[in-house]
Amino acid sequence: MASVSISSKEQYNFDVVRKFAIMTLVWGVVGMLAGVYIASELAWPFLNFDSPYISFGRLRPVHTGGVIFGFGGSALFATSYYVVQRTCQTRLISDALANFTFWGWQAVIVLAATSYILGFSQGREYAEMEWPIDILIEVVWIAYMIVFFGTVMRRKQPHIYVANWFYIAFILATALLHTFNNLAMPVNLFSMKSYSLFSGAQDAMTQWWYGHNAVGFFLTAAFLGMMYYFVPKQAGRPIYSYRLSIVHFWALSFLYMWVGSHHLHWTAIPDWTSTLAATFSIMLLLPSWGGMINGIMTLSGAWDKLRTDPIMRFLAVALSFYGMSTFEGPIMSLKDVNALSHYTDWTIGHVHSGALGWVAMITFGSFYHMIPKLWDTKLYSLRLVYWHFWLATIGILLYIIAMWISGIGQGVMWRTFDDFGNLKYAFAYTVEVVKPFYAMRAIGGMFFLSGVFIMVYNVWMTIGQAKREAAELDAKLAAKLARVGA
Amino acid sequence: MMIAWLTNPSNAKSLALVIFFVTFVAIVLWVYGSKQRGKKLESYKNIPFLDEEADTKSAAGDKESKL
Amino acid sequence: MNFNFKHEWIETNVGLLLVLTMVAISIGGLVEIAPLFLIKNTVETVKDAKGLETIRPYTALESRGRDIYVREGCYTCHSQMIRPLKDEAVRYGHYSLAAESQYDHPFQWGSKRTGPDLARVGKKYSNEWQVQHLIAPRSMVPESVMPNYPWLLSTPLDTSDLVDRLRAQRAVGVPYSLTEIEYQNNVKRFGEAVAQQLHIPNAQQNLVKQAEEGNFDGDRSNITELDALIAYLQVLGTMVDFSQYDSDHFVTFR
Repeated sequence: MASVSISSKEQYNFDVVRKFAIMTLVWGVVGMLAGVYIASELAWPFLNFDSPYISFGRLRPVHTGGVIFGFGGSALFATSYYVVQRTCQTRLISDALANFTFWGWQAVIVLAATSYILGFSQGREYAEMEWPIDILIEVVWIAYMIVFFGTVMRRKQPHIYVANWFYIAFILATALLHTFNNLAMPVNLFSMKSYSLFSGAQDAMTQWWYGHNAVGFFLTAAFLGMMYYFVPKQAGRPIYSYRLSIVHFWALSFLYMWVGSHHLHWTAIPDWTSTLAATFSIMLLLPSWGGMINGIMTLSGAWDKLRTDPIMRFLAVALSFYGMSTFEGPIMSLKDVNALSHYTDWTIGHVHSGALGWVAMITFGSFYHMIPKLWDTKLYSLRLVYWHFWLATIGILLYIIAMWISGIGQGVMWRTFDDFGNLKYAFAYTVEVVKPFYAMRAIGGMFFLSGVFIMVYNVWMTIGQAKREAAELDAKLAAKLARVGA
Repeated sequence: MMIAWLTNPSNAKSLALVIFFVTFVAIVLWVYGSKQRGKKLESYKNIPFLDEEADTKSAAGDKESKL
Repeated sequence: MNFNFKHEWIETNVGLLLVLTMVAISIGGLVEIAPLFLIKNTVETVKDAKGLETIRPYTALESRGRDIYVREGCYTCHSQMIRPLKDEAVRYGHYSLAAESQYDHPFQWGSKRTGPDLARVGKKYSNEWQVQHLIAPRSMVPESVMPNYPWLLSTPLDTSDLVDRLRAQRAVGVPYSLTEIEYQNNVKRFGEAVAQQLHIPNAQQNLVKQAEEGNFDGDRSNITELDALIAYLQVLGTMVDFSQYDSDHFVTFR
């Protein structure tokens, strides 16, 4: 092993970070492949092939679960373990427990995906895992809490760096959301099937409290934690304003939990809940942009690097998409806009400008920075990073433009009346109209996915190169020792 | 009368709003209120770079020389 | 305000940071969700002229159909929540009431209409249409992008854990009856015919009877998953007779 020369290798537990990093890419490919496939099913329905196992309804949670919990979750485990060790300058408190979180989390993703294909689902978006898997998640998450909080407690720095605050908020919120949203009664002890403890309006509120905060804390706060470490590191300069990060941390943590019911405008919940949610959604723009501005201003001192450093481009574009989608979100949460946008593809486009533009792009940028450091080598090819960057950017643009057109088109067509007061367009007609845009969306997804394939190749070659270098070093050392011995 | 208003649960929303808005203003004032405190807070932004030094040091020299 | 306060207490003490973060993130959920469980008129009660509740839990067959609806992920493309907007009233019918999904564990309001809303699809199409459409949607609606579901017709309905399924729903609050007292309560609430359907000890025979009488999949020789699913679809949104109420009666509950 290449455990020579670098003291940080003993100081820090990078082994578990490496494992999570590799699985991030694996789940990225699997989850996005499922995404491209179901997008294609909508454009070309014959792709369902009359098989229950690959029909849209069962494959869709494989996509959402694969990218959110597989790709995003593994990326967060990897970077949180990396950042907490480096900013607290201490090793994870327990290698065994950290390893348990790795194997436990991978088991969760595999079991979840398999169970969806076989037809086990709680029928609640982004929380489709049935109860045995939920319990496993709970156990893994408690282990994660112990490792992360324990490591923070053992830090050598008196101050807890702000990136860790965001990770802490994410870990706490996820525990809270997961626990309450998945309360359910199993059919019996040997059955996967369960019935949610809540029903109807209450169930809807609980589910969207969960659903939106999965976005807020899993896909936003945690990735902001990532941003607060990797953007300064890659730019080579500290964060623009530490004070701003404190203020927007508290504002974000507080405000996010209020806005879930903007997913339920005009539905059968009391009016005040959705009005309140809309108000808080507008307010949420401020802390969201606080984070974006902090990141952009950090990069702005290093604009020259944008030309030469493709990794910086990933980070800059990620922050731009974060700013864009956190602006679009509050707009869509206005009740009048929502009357048009809800139930349409616009929502899907909005989610993906956040998920692809922000979450995935910031992850790619951070990983291109972190992976060479984990394996103690240089990136195999910067050129391939450029390729990845352009494929990803074009892919996202194709995707969200397609969804804007089809989404707004659906919203407008559904509500159009003719001169006689009848609905102008039959529903089936509106399906026909959006089909070309479904195809365009699938192609956008293919662009994005091919970028990920390039990244996988690049990382693969980087690791291979690291192994060769380590072997050479070992050989040299052995030779030296042999000479000394003789 | 004041008590009666406070104990009515339907007022909880406005009350919570006021309390948390005040808290938020307090945080902002606290963070930006004093130059000295500001300087101290801003010094924390270098934390990610502190362990870089240790990193390059150990990478440059071999371990024996450091010990 | 105590000006000796130091944020360092928070930022150097992970315990305090955890507690304060927890407080910050808990408030929103508490203020928004707790009232829905406490305030009575979150869910309205809908009664007919005889004082019986018209919105009832699903029968054994319908409930099994709903399980299949959830299993196949129908909610990923179909909503079950009509909003009080003019076009939706014309296209789908009266807006959905909270009461109409009060026995739905989980709710299936959905968030996307790749296909149309199904909250009031019940009785809109014949059983024959439903069978044909579920097996081969494009044979009925050429523009459709829905998958074919041929396996529903060829898979016999598994009723081996029927009683357990109903008992689990009873445990989370759906008024299926196990005892004589519960049964009598249901008679008072829903009338005798419905109460019969909700009696768990009779579940198996009720299911068989409804499937045979309803003949949902057009084949009486066996009970398939399609029988159950269509039984469920055909009851959606049919439990409230809106002609009985003033047009703004339900507005008071929103």
